[in-house]
Amino acid sequence: MESVGGLLTGFGVILTLDNLFFCFLGSLIGTLVGVLPGVGPLAALALLLPITFTMTPVGGMVMLASIFYGAMYGGSTTSILLNIPGEAASVVTCLDGHQMAKQGRAGAALGIAAIGSFVAGTLGVIVMTFFAPTIATVAIRFGPPENFALMVLGIVCTLFMITGSPVKGALMVALGFLTAAVGIDVVNGRERFTFGSIDLSAGIELLAVVIGLFGVTEVLSNVERVVKSTLVAERIRGLWPTLADWRASWRPMLRGSGLGFVLGLVPGGGPVTASFMSYALEKRLSAHPDGFGKGAIEGVAGPESANNAAVAGSIIPVLSLGIPSNAVTALLLGALVIHGVQPGPLFIAQRPDLFWGIVASMYVGNVLLLLLNLPLVGLWVQFLRIPYRVLFPVVLLLSIVGVYSANKNVFDLWVMLAFGVAGYVLLKLKYDLAPFVIAFVLAPLLEQSLRQSLAMSPDGAMIFVQRPGTALMLVSSALLVALMVRRKPKGKPKGKAKGKPKGKPKGKPKGGSR
Amino acid sequence: MFERALNAFWILLGAAAAAYAWTLGLIGASGPESGLFPFLAGLIIMGAGVVLLLRPLSENIAPDFPRGDALWRVLGVIAGLAFMAISIPFLGFAVAGFITMVILLRTVEKSSWWFSLALALVAIVVVDWLFGHILGMALPRGPWGW
Repeated sequence: MESVGGLLTGFGVILTLDNLFFCFLGSLIGTLVGVLPGVGPLAALALLLPITFTMTPVGGMVMLASIFYGAMYGGSTTSILLNIPGEAASVVTCLDGHQMAKQGRAGAALGIAAIGSFVAGTLGVIVMTFFAPTIATVAIRFGPPENFALMVLGIVCTLFMITGSPVKGALMVALGFLTAAVGIDVVNGRERFTFGSIDLSAGIELLAVVIGLFGVTEVLSNVERVVKSTLVAERIRGLWPTLADWRASWRPMLRGSGLGFVLGLVPGGGPVTASFMSYALEKRLSAHPDGFGKGAIEGVAGPESANNAAVAGSIIPVLSLGIPSNAVTALLLGALVIHGVQPGPLFIAQRPDLFWGIVASMYVGNVLLLLLNLPLVGLWVQFLRIPYRVLFPVVLLLSIVGVYSANKNVFDLWVMLAFGVAGYVLLKLKYDLAPFVIAFVLAPLLEQSLRQSLAMSPDGAMIFVQRPGTALMLVSSALLVALMVRRKPKGKPKGKAKGKPKGKPKGKPKGGSR
Repeated sequence: MFERALNAFWILLGAAAAAYAWTLGLIGASGPESGLFPFLAGLIIMGAGVVLLLRPLSENIAPDFPRGDALWRVLGVIAGLAFMAISIPFLGFAVAGFITMVILLRTVEKSSWWFSLALALVAIVVVDWLFGHILGMALPRGPWGW
């Protein structure tokens, strides 16, 4: 009942003209970001974060969250019509969605993708409404050692889930910690790694890092290739699925919703992993697996539902525990901190307006997105005509505005450029950039918890084994590390590797929304 | 070869970071000091670098770095951003952005003069108006006040 009361409070917050406008604007931008290949949700969030400085925390966070889940809706349009993933979580949608479009069933593919997204998004938010406060109630008893162990477990889970080398992942995490350590130590005012530079004494700016790693890196990766794409359908007809489509899709939608939600909760999971796992699951459960890759509607319904449910799932740990499960939620955490709000177990009790406002906005946002993506799909198709040569200079311009406006410091532009080039090179060498951002955002909290734990302990590091909750989480982390050491290097997710579908996606998946 | 050099760099970076963090102090009379956390991070970087360096050569990745035109396009974007960072304090956002966009469109995408000039002008005016005026964000101004 407490959750229902909270939700009503949230609707009271969100159903004002200002907040509804921000929710609509975020949904609109999110869909556009999803539709446009070459602009990912993480880069878009980072670019637009400075705009929220002039808004209330509720308005700003509602807009940023709706960009995140809006991008999941829009991504399918590009995958289905162009065979280029609009964003990384829509890569698998290319496999069957584009085949459906080539068979003259673009409308059905787009329709089932939007409806699946709506069903999964709404189911995910319903579960979130009741689940998030329960987690926060448990976590409210946590002290610094438990917080430290929980963050360690979250980071280890992230490393366990990444598709590349866990050693490279661990290296990126440590680099994130080291980068976050640059500046003045808030505990004793001592300078670390500043080498006498005034610019470095303020620390490395989060926006410059994220826009560099995900905005500039994305542009560099995209200008390198010349991808020629052909719009399959000029006019979209038959958006409402037929009875046969419904019969084939309702189970994948529900399975995708459940799977996506759970994978969203797990650190390192998220929309990308969820969509690949859902595709692999549907193919395995299907009575006609040979049809996958040739226009099976289940191959659209499952993954598109999964990536939307994963968004709701991934927002829970960041709001109720203060622990991001992927790079996008790490940026949302950073945005909350910039707005003077510290997410965590006390967040719901201290800022019920903000927490329940965000939850309520997700109900509203899902309805808005269904309306934006079904009747207005023709409008989004027009955006697919914008060539990348027009887009990328504008993205770079917005990157510069976004980074500069945070501190009004040209030094941050150099930081952005350095991280952009570094990210580009590291991606070439198959380093995953998401663990870096998660570690960079978590580092101050992790260090604080470590120092507080050791300071309050008469037995030094033994405090981590003396407390049962802490010991359990650290043992779980150790077990995961042991499993990582024992297992062979992971390849690409099964759904993509298997099957050799006819129409492989032409573009590269974009980073940032893992 | 490139990856092995990078792995060696990680070892050096981790060792240097750990050594520097050591000088900041790890554990003092009042508990953990400023150097403890970066020291641990440095050790992890160094350890991961060693593991990566000791892997069999066959596990190393030969990165598909761009060549020819693709390389020039990538370098063009990097040069454009560097020019922007250098020129913004002197020219302001509008002029530096306009010049950068024209250069990028002409050199990276080989767009026509008319298209490049028109797109750069429209983009700068819209971004400056939207962010500088409507949203009230402070964009760097040139000596002429815009």
